[in-house]
Amino acid sequence: MLTVSHLDLAIIGSGPAGLAAAVKAKQTGIKDLVVFERDQRPGGILPQCIHNGFGIEKFKEELTGPEYANRYIKMADTHDVDIELNTMVLEIEKDKTLIAVSEQSGLRKFQCKSIILAMGCRERPRGAIGIAGTRPAGIFTAGQAQRLVNIEGYMPGENIVIQGSGDVGMIMARRLTLEGAKVKAVAEIQPYTSGLIRNEVQCLHDFNIPLLLGHTVSDIHGDKRVEGVTLVEVDADWNPIAGTAVQMACDTLLLSVGLVPENELTRKAGISIDPHTGGPYVNELLETGVKGIFSCGNALHVNDFVDDVSTEGEIATRGAHYRIKGKMPGGKQRIALKGDSTIGQVVPQTISGLRPVMLSIRVKRPMQKMTLHVGDILEKRFPYARPSEMIRVRLPGKIFSDLKPGLTRLDVTCQER
Amino acid sequence: MATAANDRSCQLGDFDAVVIGAGIVGAMIIRELSRLKGRFAIVEKEMFPGFGVSKASLSQIHLPDFCPPGSLKGKLCVNAPERFKKLAGELDVDYREVDELWLALAPAQVSLLKEAQFRGEANGAKGFELVGPQKIRELEPHITPNAVAGLRAKGLGVIHPPQWGRALVAHAVQNGVQLYLQTAVRNITKNENGTFLIDTSGGILSAKYVINAAGLYADEIAQMAGDGDIRLILRKGTMLIFDKSVSHLARHMIFGTSGAPHSQDIAPTVHGNLIVGVHYAKTESKTDTRVSREGIRETLKLGQMLIPALSEADIITSFAGILATNTMSSEGDFYIAPSEREPHVIHIIVGAPGLSAAPGIADYVIKLLGDAGFKTTEQKTAQLRHRRWPRFESASVEQREQMVAENPKHGHILCRCEQVTEAEIREAIRSGANTMDAVKHLTRAGMGRCQGGFCGTFVLEQLIKQLGIAPTEVTKNGPGSYQISKVMNS
Repeated sequence: MLTVSHLDLAIIGSGPAGLAAAVKAKQTGIKDLVVFERDQRPGGILPQCIHNGFGIEKFKEELTGPEYANRYIKMADTHDVDIELNTMVLEIEKDKTLIAVSEQSGLRKFQCKSIILAMGCRERPRGAIGIAGTRPAGIFTAGQAQRLVNIEGYMPGENIVIQGSGDVGMIMARRLTLEGAKVKAVAEIQPYTSGLIRNEVQCLHDFNIPLLLGHTVSDIHGDKRVEGVTLVEVDADWNPIAGTAVQMACDTLLLSVGLVPENELTRKAGISIDPHTGGPYVNELLETGVKGIFSCGNALHVNDFVDDVSTEGEIATRGAHYRIKGKMPGGKQRIALKGDSTIGQVVPQTISGLRPVMLSIRVKRPMQKMTLHVGDILEKRFPYARPSEMIRVRLPGKIFSDLKPGLTRLDVTCQER
Repeated sequence: MATAANDRSCQLGDFDAVVIGAGIVGAMIIRELSRLKGRFAIVEKEMFPGFGVSKASLSQIHLPDFCPPGSLKGKLCVNAPERFKKLAGELDVDYREVDELWLALAPAQVSLLKEAQFRGEANGAKGFELVGPQKIRELEPHITPNAVAGLRAKGLGVIHPPQWGRALVAHAVQNGVQLYLQTAVRNITKNENGTFLIDTSGGILSAKYVINAAGLYADEIAQMAGDGDIRLILRKGTMLIFDKSVSHLARHMIFGTSGAPHSQDIAPTVHGNLIVGVHYAKTESKTDTRVSREGIRETLKLGQMLIPALSEADIITSFAGILATNTMSSEGDFYIAPSEREPHVIHIIVGAPGLSAAPGIADYVIKLLGDAGFKTTEQKTAQLRHRRWPRFESASVEQREQMVAENPKHGHILCRCEQVTEAEIREAIRSGANTMDAVKHLTRAGMGRCQGGFCGTFVLEQLIKQLGIAPTEVTKNGPGSYQISKVMNS
């Protein structure tokens, strides 16, 4: 039988969400906390993101991924945060017990007053998008290639085609080019890039890397190692257009075709997952359907900016604080935020109407001159909206004073003007 | 048949019998042979046993309810599940029992279930039960409401062929068998004493008896032995593997009644994912294991007819395997017989359910050897030394505690999706897994939902460290399939 230790707060993951949550927790007087990290270093995916563009909101300067992580690691050190490295959480139960394992400490069980889930996300593999062809060596996800190059110091290949224009894919197109590889094309099945405009410009256009919008890799060739791919143009329904197939020789195919929040532990704890985000349903303090268990960062929904991820970590800590103290004001009041057919996702999915809240919204399709409505309490205009750019809208506390009592639902809608 | 070549420069050894092919059939045969007195060898062109057709299959152990009454294949797989279950204990490998539920989606199809039951019973299998829609719903709540009747049978099973191939061959080797991996047979000749000389990429083996268990290549081996009239008819089958988060959708091995046998087949794998198959397409090439968009789409469609909740979004990987029937027998039956020209050469030409029938085939081949004049005297065999390393993922909390206490490297999980520990990966490499694919198939690292996106780098590092090789020497599955192109200058 495992002996049980008690914790006020357990944080799963020491990426930008988990570290920010931990620092905030210490700053606000939560002493009894442990951060569990399965990798050998803290920082999550940041140490391999050696490009800049991190921290503009949090630190008012452009940092690289490792620099951004180091700021938080230093703060965590200053506040004496206990980060258990090489430690994987195996199980979480509804009653907020968890089991973790590590080489140095073996199996341990903890009973926690609150838990913050900050496991981040993973990349969709080839199987998830069903690319036809052989199964040779030389097919990597963009993030795996990023780790190989930036952490391990290995080149995955020399002649590269990238499927998908996610941010990591575009960043790796530039990175591999700088290392002397030939990036022959970035193919994106949609008529627009799925990453940020700034990455499209700075990583592809500035390096003359061909961006093929409305194209996809339809076939992979080579028995031992990738020898080439077939690229094909697609119509609006992603069906290949006859006569457009071209062969392109390459030794490597990188996939940057989407990120999925990591929620295996969340599911094990019996927490319901929103199919739109891939993360749990949460309220404005990012509390999941299980009292005392919170979710933040890319485990909650895939974010565009690391600064927002860290902010969510801090919000989750605020929620955890209430639970540790044993009271949650407004915990029972629930107004559901429902997106219409134009909305891809809304986080949080419920609010109490008692405190200000930042909404994160993604539209389903690109729109021009878009007007956003949140029920009849907020109207906001945007010059454009794209699925790849998360819309963040703050609902100030006073906005709720006009709410009809007993209201249970607010519709979130978008129209083009 | 040509006479022997003079080149004896690389003579690998003289054997009483040589098995060509270490798929699951060849592996079963060599293990049975290894219990007998004599000198035996097995030759395999792939890197590992069970890495050919055996691996790229549904990996299911069936009852003979697909086999025509009185067929050889029906006879050879009559008690397949029991035999596999018993062998799993002897070999310390995984076998998971799964019950069969064969569905009729329209009243007109009910007679097909009755025919299946008749075939099964005529072949000697028992325990079939016809069930109605309500019972079906009880057994499998996610099945289509169109299901009007089902044929239920208990105690079928699923395995992972590379794990079995490895264990079977390991036991044979322990009993004195010579194993030649990555060794392709190029020609077979016969010398003046009537001994066969098997010319391989690694040298020449001489043998009094040759057992052709070369699977998809059995026709080519037969031709080398002078039997040029065996032809294989090839089909390509596409299969899909689903994320474990949807494994609750099916607990049985569920068959539909549309199309060819197993063209609608949904079942748990031994590892707990769901596998959905099989969309068949004609192919001319034995190496045509490319998956096509159409193959993926059609396979999914066939599966959704049985379980509508199956979603493309939950597919983690897809693959294709080649299935062969032969021109020597009718109704897709096996052809297992001594060569008419060379009675000391035994050809084994099987298709589905070759995996299920493998233990039966091994017995049958030993009998044919005896009939051909080979003296089958049992020898005292060694206890199987091969022991499976414990798997962290499927261990209880108490077992896990003990595992980590015994080897702290069990506390370091390298594959997060399948919870494979550093200790397991080291053990796999120590026991001969020297490629990414071999580590994957022996440990499951890289077989989960991220498909190696995270652990691929860790496995690469372990191979570099444990084997003491350069990073560029690590391969996915043998020469040419390098993982990284160069080490960057620091």
